[in-house]
Amino acid sequence: MKTSMKTKLYVLLAIAGLVASVALAHGDKKHVVGTLEKINADSVVVKTAAGKSVEVKLVVTTMYVSHAGNKDKPAKLADLAVGDRVVIHATPKGETLEANEVKFSTPATAAAATAKPKS
Amino acid sequence: MSRGNAISLVIVIAIALIAVAAASILHDGLSSRAKPTALETMLARNARHLAIPAGARKLQNPAAETPENLGDARLHFADHCAICHANDGSGDTQIGRNLYPKPPDLRRDETQELADGELFWIIENGVRFTGMPAFGGAHGSEQDSWKLVRFVRHLPQLTEEERMEMERYNPKGPEDLEEEQEENDFLRGQPIQQKPEGTHHH
Repeated sequence: MKTSMKTKLYVLLAIAGLVASVALAHGDKKHVVGTLEKINADSVVVKTAAGKSVEVKLVVTTMYVSHAGNKDKPAKLADLAVGDRVVIHATPKGETLEANEVKFSTPATAAAATAKPKS
Repeated sequence: MSRGNAISLVIVIAIALIAVAAASILHDGLSSRAKPTALETMLARNARHLAIPAGARKLQNPAAETPENLGDARLHFADHCAICHANDGSGDTQIGRNLYPKPPDLRRDETQELADGELFWIIENGVRFTGMPAFGGAHGSEQDSWKLVRFVRHLPQLTEEERMEMERYNPKGPEDLEEEQEENDFLRGQPIQQKPEGTHHH
């Protein structure tokens, strides 16, 4: 009986809480594809195919993945270099983009991949 | 203040609160994109606690903590759970972010402090009034659910290599597969596929 009363109380309070809550959430993720133009301590600038420079913020949770020889392996910010090809999955936060994952390949590995005949 | 005045004051405050809540709903609606309030979160956790039978909490995990069991559960999680919970258990996916209530970050204390039996019961029976379905019965074996409990315990120590392996097992639609192929081709030196402003929605 006591548990039943407690449950009813929680349900009533849950309804009250539901009615009182209103907030906004973040938008969907975006992909930024292009060549690294600039690397800062807390952001990178990517030159896209359209010739536009897009800045993406780097945060502590940003993950770095090196793509070479059709394989992905974990990397770190220090492995990035200007001129690398990047695919960044980012979350819009207000006017800025925050990187969730930065996948990259160096010009050398990209050139080696294109030189190889496809089987 | 007399008792009558105090009661009147309480009634007026209650009516004012209801009016504010009603105005807020009429103005903003009840979007599931909203973030649940601390009060709702607290109430929901207590309601979930009450929903789990006391006996379930005492159950012991029969699935041993072996690399094989963890590997099975990791790929199972990637295939069935990650669409809402994300491979790392953070819940940071398009569906996870926009559910109401949001799936919890499985790496945090609120989940890790649940008993093995509670986690098993939730996987098998789901959580009412949330996006968490019941995976028990016809949808899977109890052994798989116990292995998943092992994997949930492992989530705070998930390595980058494990996360990247899981990405290969995440369900993907034709558009996602095509997009992934284009991005990998670009990284392998192929010409860039031009998108509006170089960015596009996931």
